[in-house]
Amino acid sequence: MDPATTPLGQMLLDEITPVVMLLSTPSVEQSCLKNGLSFLQTLRPFCSFNNIDVPVRTASDQPYRLHKFKLRLFYASDVRKPDLMVAKEQLKQVITEAGDKMFSDSRSDVPKINHELSSSEHQNTPSWFQFLNKELVRVASFSDHEAFDHPVICLLAVSSKDEQPINRFIDLFNANKLPSLLNDGAMDPKISKHYLLVHDNQDGPTDRASKIFTEMRNAFGTIDCSLLCINSSLDAPIKHQDNPWALYITDASPTPSQDLACFLNIDDINEIKNLMQDLSSKHIIPNMEQKIRVLNQQVSATRKGFKNQIKNLWWRKGKEDGADSLNGPTYNFNSIESQIRVLGDYAFMLRDYELALSNYRLISTDYKIDKAWKRYAGVQEMMGLTYFMLDQSRKEAEYCMENAFTTYLKLGSFGQLNATRCGLWWIEMLKARDEYKEAATVYFRICGEDILHSAVMLEQASYCYLLSKPSMLRKYGFHLVLSGEQYKKCDQIKHAIRTYKSALSVFRGTTWGYINDHVHFHIGQWYASLGMYDVAVKHMMEILACSHQSKTTQELFLGDFLQIVEKNGRTFEVTKLQLPVINISSLKVVFEDYRTFGTPSAVNTKEVSWRSLEEEMLPSFSAAKTNWLELQSKLISKKDIQSNVCVAGEAVNVSFEFKNPLLISIPISGVTLVCKYSASTDEVKSNENESSLEKDDEADLFRNRSNDNSSFLVSEVDFLLGGGETTMIQLSVTPRAEGILEIHGVKWKLSGKIVGFHNFELSLPNRNAGKGRRKTKHLQNEKFKFMVIKSIPKLQGSIHPLPEKAYAGDLRQLVLELRNPSEFPVKNLKMKISHPRFLIIGKQENIRSEFPACLRKKTDSVQCDADSNIMSDTVFLFPEGTSVQGETPLLWPLWFRAAVPGDISLYMSIYYEMVDVSSVIRYRTLRLHYNVQVLPSLDVSFQTSPSQLRLQEFLVRMDIVNKTNSESFQVYQLSSVGHHWEISLLQPPDTIFPSQSLMAGQAISCFFTLKKSRKFSALEDNVSTLPVRSDVRLVPQSSDDLVYDINIAPLINFHHYERLQQEVSYKGDFNAVDFVLISRPFKSNNDPGFSDPPHLMSHHACHFSIASTGPISWLIDGPQTLHHDFSASFCEISLKMHLYNSSGATAFVRIDTLDSAGNGGHNSNINVAQTTTPDNQAGWHDITPANNELKVTSPKFLENQPVKALSLESVSPYIWSGSSSTHLHVEAMSLAEIPLQICVFSPGTYDLSNYVLNWRLPSNGLGDSDETRQHSGKCQGYKHYLTVLQST
Amino acid sequence: MATTACFIIVSRNDIPIYEAEVGVAAKREDAAQLHQFILHAALDIVQDLAWTTSAMYLKSVDRFNELVVSVYVTAGHTRFMLLHDSRNDDGIKSFFQEVHELYIKTLLNPLYLPGSRITSSHFDTKVRALARKYL
Repeated sequence: MDPATTPLGQMLLDEITPVVMLLSTPSVEQSCLKNGLSFLQTLRPFCSFNNIDVPVRTASDQPYRLHKFKLRLFYASDVRKPDLMVAKEQLKQVITEAGDKMFSDSRSDVPKINHELSSSEHQNTPSWFQFLNKELVRVASFSDHEAFDHPVICLLAVSSKDEQPINRFIDLFNANKLPSLLNDGAMDPKISKHYLLVHDNQDGPTDRASKIFTEMRNAFGTIDCSLLCINSSLDAPIKHQDNPWALYITDASPTPSQDLACFLNIDDINEIKNLMQDLSSKHIIPNMEQKIRVLNQQVSATRKGFKNQIKNLWWRKGKEDGADSLNGPTYNFNSIESQIRVLGDYAFMLRDYELALSNYRLISTDYKIDKAWKRYAGVQEMMGLTYFMLDQSRKEAEYCMENAFTTYLKLGSFGQLNATRCGLWWIEMLKARDEYKEAATVYFRICGEDILHSAVMLEQASYCYLLSKPSMLRKYGFHLVLSGEQYKKCDQIKHAIRTYKSALSVFRGTTWGYINDHVHFHIGQWYASLGMYDVAVKHMMEILACSHQSKTTQELFLGDFLQIVEKNGRTFEVTKLQLPVINISSLKVVFEDYRTFGTPSAVNTKEVSWRSLEEEMLPSFSAAKTNWLELQSKLISKKDIQSNVCVAGEAVNVSFEFKNPLLISIPISGVTLVCKYSASTDEVKSNENESSLEKDDEADLFRNRSNDNSSFLVSEVDFLLGGGETTMIQLSVTPRAEGILEIHGVKWKLSGKIVGFHNFELSLPNRNAGKGRRKTKHLQNEKFKFMVIKSIPKLQGSIHPLPEKAYAGDLRQLVLELRNPSEFPVKNLKMKISHPRFLIIGKQENIRSEFPACLRKKTDSVQCDADSNIMSDTVFLFPEGTSVQGETPLLWPLWFRAAVPGDISLYMSIYYEMVDVSSVIRYRTLRLHYNVQVLPSLDVSFQTSPSQLRLQEFLVRMDIVNKTNSESFQVYQLSSVGHHWEISLLQPPDTIFPSQSLMAGQAISCFFTLKKSRKFSALEDNVSTLPVRSDVRLVPQSSDDLVYDINIAPLINFHHYERLQQEVSYKGDFNAVDFVLISRPFKSNNDPGFSDPPHLMSHHACHFSIASTGPISWLIDGPQTLHHDFSASFCEISLKMHLYNSSGATAFVRIDTLDSAGNGGHNSNINVAQTTTPDNQAGWHDITPANNELKVTSPKFLENQPVKALSLESVSPYIWSGSSSTHLHVEAMSLAEIPLQICVFSPGTYDLSNYVLNWRLPSNGLGDSDETRQHSGKCQGYKHYLTVLQST
Repeated sequence: MATTACFIIVSRNDIPIYEAEVGVAAKREDAAQLHQFILHAALDIVQDLAWTTSAMYLKSVDRFNELVVSVYVTAGHTRFMLLHDSRNDDGIKSFFQEVHELYIKTLLNPLYLPGSRITSSHFDTKVRALARKYL
């Protein structure tokens, strides 16, 4: 790449060019002003030559040709440092104008960053940057430490009108008027001069002019003089087609460009052209060549060569001590340092970069040693540029630029301008090499104290980041924000907004909260300060939900927002108001079509559980449509079936959560639903099309809809949402007439100033999750659309007094009350209850009976058949003809029993049909839901064991624990269920319950005997003598209460459900016994926590098996003590075995008597445990027959005997006589008797357990599945002790 | 202990998932957004730098005035960024390593969705404790 074609190269070729100092008399200026131009301006367009083609020979002998050349013209008065303040003002004005212009251009749209398009610099960077940068470079010109701004030649112009032109020429170059550069010795005052005589043709013919010109030639020499005739066009002003001046005079000149140079005809222009070309090719360039050669010789003489270098070094060292001012020593124009610099600059201007570089190098070390930092920096800067123009060693170039830049910066404020210029050149250098990232950092470093200046630089830096590859968008955004902040500081609000808006394109949608808030907040504020409140509000809205900010910031944001809204005047209505946040997933729409809800909690229950509950009650849909003449199919078109149905006059409730993300509380008012009502279905269709078109302007849509509310009522809610709070809001809309009702969204007012809308349709994805109530197949639009049908009756129901808390076992009578406020009757009532264990439906007549007295056993107890009353868990039908209408409510008794502890949800559903068949909805259901908390009360457990004394008798142990915290109970009654069990206490109740009550936490055990009544054998015989006592009162007889009958309505029903519930291993009816324990709260102790203390509690324990060993129970009947004279013979004793088969089938029983105790082969595998036990007390006999003394009664003797018996070898002391094995069949539920006989040979006490009983039940074919039931078994004999004494 | 230190964890989708001001300096109102701006801009540098080295700790990648940005990139391209004004390179490295360990523990939590905001207060207190220890 040719460095000269880069922007920097162009800039250098333009800026670092020879300067021509212009001195002119006022009359010259006057002549030129006729054209609207100054003399300088007249000449300027002809100062740059694109094809000059001059041979140049500098220090080397080889000439080269210059093609392009340029001159810079300055009036002598301008050859000085430009005024900083003026320049600044001018820059500021330029920036302001640019700001206004750009702002009005890009008001509407935020520029979108397109990565593809951003490749070109000029497309993105504003054009005024170029101008600004140029100005900044220009401000630093004419510094005394650089030579390229030193005038090369002085052009003296005198008009032919002037008196004594020759003298004027001499006067013009008067030392007093000369610029300070020449005067204070920074440059050589012996500048070469060129004398120009300007003749205005309008003033007359050229005669006088040529005469003066001849004089001039004589006076100043032929070469240095020239004549210029202008304004040749005498009368007619010339319109130039492409005016060469127009380009240069764009700023500041009021005259239109067409009028410029109107008196200059083509000859004049050519003449000026020739003049300038001659000036440069014949005077300036040769002059410079000459000077370069001279200086080069001098430098070579003094500084080149080894000797000179040593000398120089020595000399510099010596000089070091003296000068240590900040700028180092001052150098005169004739000092060797200045001359080297001039040589370098001239060589640079003539593009002999090699020569320039060698000289710059030479001088740079000198300045460094001298600590002339500014000059050093200047030389370094030039070195960098020279390297660049040579396109050599990039590193070296950048190093030099950086060096120069930092050195300038070190100089402080008066190096700042040079630093800026140096930086800009450096940036251009980097840009030329596509190192935009580095360029950006340089821009960042340029930023000085001047705020406006640094704002512009930062903005340029940001563009560099954008242009770098890959583009660094985040850096771009950040620097734009930085720049915007600086713009703001110097009141360039429009620029600030512009930069922030550009930054927004980077930060839009970012999750970096603070960044987002900062950008939006400031844009909002600034727009507000410009009075553009609508845009301001738009931006401020973005930051309202700033939960991550501190409280003060939140207050600031909200306060500013409301202030802006207020200033705007009118009420805003916006769709995307973020405050408060609506949790759309919590949205719930509750409406009542055929489903109605009696309690608020019923709404929250899942539809599925209601469906399963109501399944049996509802007529299935297909069944309803069997007849094609059916009215229903006509009434509901297919489309309407899809939309939801609601009833006129009944509210549709919408509930959702409002969340305040802020820490401060916000007042919300006027929260209402936005709905639309249309009278007929046709209108809906047309509206659908319409709404799809209107989607883009939703706020307008809302506005229109909100006005029309004659046909429905909406509720309105006001509330204050505290910091961080979430509130569930319930809104309702009540349609008044038939038609179509659509719910569009919700509307609220924040702080009474701004109205927000939220469209329910907008957020589609997660809505299905939130609603259990809706069919998911519906289109989104359909979900909020309701078909309003005409008013139909709606039942209201309640249960009272349903307790919220109850102790387990609590039994109550409740009343279900149904009301029908409308005048239309309903019929065919049905009801179903989810938990019949807790709640059962009573009979109509129970409503008047007094509880709990109605449960008492009547004296004339008619045994009602309990089984017929027990409900199957199907639907309860109210009696035919039951209808609810008008004022009188329908009352129906219910029985409640708290079966198990825990939180119980009771669901009830009541089905009813409309009498009026023409309605779309023919039936409705009333759903009730109640929660009951059941606390544990008494814990009852039973244990039964068979009595060994009597067949059919059992010992029952009851353990009761009172698990309440404070309540005491009176255990009132224990009943066994069924008629064939007889129960009696072992102890009087007073001894069990001395205090008559069971205190909190108290545990108690009591024992009962349970006997099977002989009903099965001969009912008639026994019934008169032995009344079946299946109930036992556990309270003293003195209390006048009667026994509760557990066989009447609610108790037996509850017992049925308990049995079903507790059914674990159902072994058959006959071996299990059920107990019902009835207790009452002890009257003296009432817990205030319970409003309604329980009256009666029942605890049910079911299926206690009494036959642990099998279906066969037996008993050996025989004498306990016997006297026999063993001296006469052995003793023969007859025994009887009673067997009872408790199973339902005939049992086959075999009894094997064993003589050898404990070691029989088949005995051992019957009961291993028994054979291994050490105390094999097969019996014992007295081994001291000799003394014949009987000391059986002696306690000492008895104590010793077992020890002796144990030592004996186990020979059976008695012998079973009779058959060793007996077989018999025992009929079901019957007794049998077997005679047994033993022989005893000596007196003693014998254990007659030496037998085995085998039993077998016939296995019925399908009984195999019943795993738990045994079919056969073996039983070891019971211990039965027999004492035989020697008779005297 | 650094006077200014802002620690931030940026998920692979450039979303900040954890932010903490761990410096001791009194919090200025505009500090939070400035820190975010600097760290956000530094992501551009990290994006280039992360692929040039195999080390997770990238040292200081960017600076703004006297504030330095140090970055640690995990294998899942989650970036731990620390904006600080102290020159404690070893401390910062150990800080990052220990936070990485904490972060991995968070990732192991089956209830934590990778890339979502870290709301665990336990994590927060641990990070602050580490900051006190190392920075």
